[in-house]
Amino acid sequence: MNETRRTELKGRALSLGLALGGAFAVTVILLWLLSSSFSDAFRLFFAAPFSNAYYLGNMLAEVGILVLAGLGAGVAFGSRNFNLGGEGQVYLGAVVTAAICLALPSGNPVLVPLLAAVSSVLAGAFLGWLSGQLRLSLGVDELISSFLVSAAVVYFCDFIVTGPLQDASSNFQATGLIPEAFRFARIMPPSSLSMAVVPVIAILVLMAILLARTRFGFELSLMGKNAEFARYVGIDQGFYRTAPMAISGALYGLAGSFLVLGSYYRVMKGFSAGIGWTGIAVALVAGNAPLAVFPAALLFGYLDAGAKAVMVGADVTQEIVSVVQAAVFLFITARFADRFLAGRKEKR
Amino acid sequence: MNDIAALAGDALGLMTPILFAALGGLLSELSGMLNIALEGLIGVGAFGAAVAAIRTGSLAAGVMVGAATGAVVAWGFGAATIRLRANGFVTGLAVNLLAAGITVSVSARLFHTKGVIKVAAGALPVLPLDAAGQPSLLGRIFLGHDALAYASWLAVPLVWLLVARTPFGMRLRAAGSNPRALVTLGKKPERYKLVAIILSGLACGLAGASLSLGLGAYVPNATAGRGWIALVAVYLGGRNPAGVLAASFVFALASSLANYAQGFLTVPADFILALPYIITLAALVFAAVAKKLKATR
Repeated sequence: MNETRRTELKGRALSLGLALGGAFAVTVILLWLLSSSFSDAFRLFFAAPFSNAYYLGNMLAEVGILVLAGLGAGVAFGSRNFNLGGEGQVYLGAVVTAAICLALPSGNPVLVPLLAAVSSVLAGAFLGWLSGQLRLSLGVDELISSFLVSAAVVYFCDFIVTGPLQDASSNFQATGLIPEAFRFARIMPPSSLSMAVVPVIAILVLMAILLARTRFGFELSLMGKNAEFARYVGIDQGFYRTAPMAISGALYGLAGSFLVLGSYYRVMKGFSAGIGWTGIAVALVAGNAPLAVFPAALLFGYLDAGAKAVMVGADVTQEIVSVVQAAVFLFITARFADRFLAGRKEKR
Repeated sequence: MNDIAALAGDALGLMTPILFAALGGLLSELSGMLNIALEGLIGVGAFGAAVAAIRTGSLAAGVMVGAATGAVVAWGFGAATIRLRANGFVTGLAVNLLAAGITVSVSARLFHTKGVIKVAAGALPVLPLDAAGQPSLLGRIFLGHDALAYASWLAVPLVWLLVARTPFGMRLRAAGSNPRALVTLGKKPERYKLVAIILSGLACGLAGASLSLGLGAYVPNATAGRGWIALVAVYLGGRNPAGVLAASFVFALASSLANYAQGFLTVPADFILALPYIITLAALVFAAVAKKLKATR
């Protein structure tokens, strides 16, 4: 291992450590400032996710969704494409799956959910591809266009959920439940952990292989590291503008589909809010390494579960998770480490 | 005629937060920093302004605290991005997430609600429609707005003066277009970038104050994408204050048309909410197509 690579790894480890430490510190400070009983809030936040099978199962189900979202964000980042449309892509994926399952209630119990999941993947992929294509052919920044498309799609989905698909017998703003035959079997009832984790793990492994062991993955990372050089060696620029965005959208769309097929069996208005942003946080912590996506998703799933527990049991709102995420974003990208290492060298 | 005047008048009212934020975004953009945190900065400004107005009972204090809140958060954002050489895109997202989370959390703690908080001091007073004698068409357009609206119009020539006619403004632009020249002069480009970011936070704080105090209440997520619209207005405005004003007005006019259409068309409310994003995207695409056609000719 050469010197630069070692310094780079050291810097990465240091900024990761700082991000985790920072997230912990920010959480503790927020709980202290915002709760009336700090000790209760602290205990709930950090211990509740592991306190019983129900909490643990729910947390793991969430982790599965975040793995897909994190892979989705990462495949775009890795090639220097920015997909800020995760929010809309997840939500649309969920709505498409629910719509198909509700439209074909007596269909084949294998084919209908499969058709639903594939359609969600295609819907998400289309949204991602659209922004990539706009960048490619018109030079419209994909960062902004993906966000704008997604924001509009979120309202469109709100309309579908509370309009055409609204369950008339429910007091909630939600669609009806999809037929039992279409659902993933639960692993730890009554928690929402389901067999959906099996395809999630398969996709995680596949993505790891795709990115680390194939020509596609190699060219993709080359685009991410040095687009100029990639152009010079004749890599198809257009393909690597649109394909990573489409794959990113596809993974987000699948995350939305699994939320319905595995966890909730219906779409509630705004129920996927935040997953797109958390996917970005997961990808940043994982540093675009697919296998690191799992521990990163575990971290954010844990934070989320803690926040939910604290909201139910103490008087702190769940939204503190956004603040903790913001802190992670900041710490993970700040080059404390480079600065620290560079400073040391100068002194020598 | 009356309808058109009413539409234009409403648009000018809706324009205030977009214009303030876009002028702020312009300063940041000129200094070489893409400020995608506008949305979050407006959010904290709106909340800070409402909290201060409720606690002190003074709308003026609300406006000042709103502006200060935006500036302080922007200062943190700028310092993290510049001093720690963080990725401005990621830290910008961080500010947007922070704004969404902190406002709700603090609101729940201080006011025991995540919902709408009323400002007891009411809304910012508006200039009456008959302030200049008989109500007239022009009056319907240009009167009837609050002090922050007029301040935002005034800010357009002020920003122009600042960036085009002062040594500070020239250095600020150089920080974006030619930082090496600044270094040769013995100036630090980073310092100008930081000041530009803080100014953009101040402007977003005013944008936020105009949202919450203009209504006399803090509404969660009242920003509703205006920061992103403002960001696009910076581009479409050709990175100059007059262009930014024109682009902001077009977006505001679109919103006011949407509100107007809602009166007689039975369009679902969700579509109206989505409209600003769709129009912004359409404008962005349209401008890109126009640019491309021009280049190929």
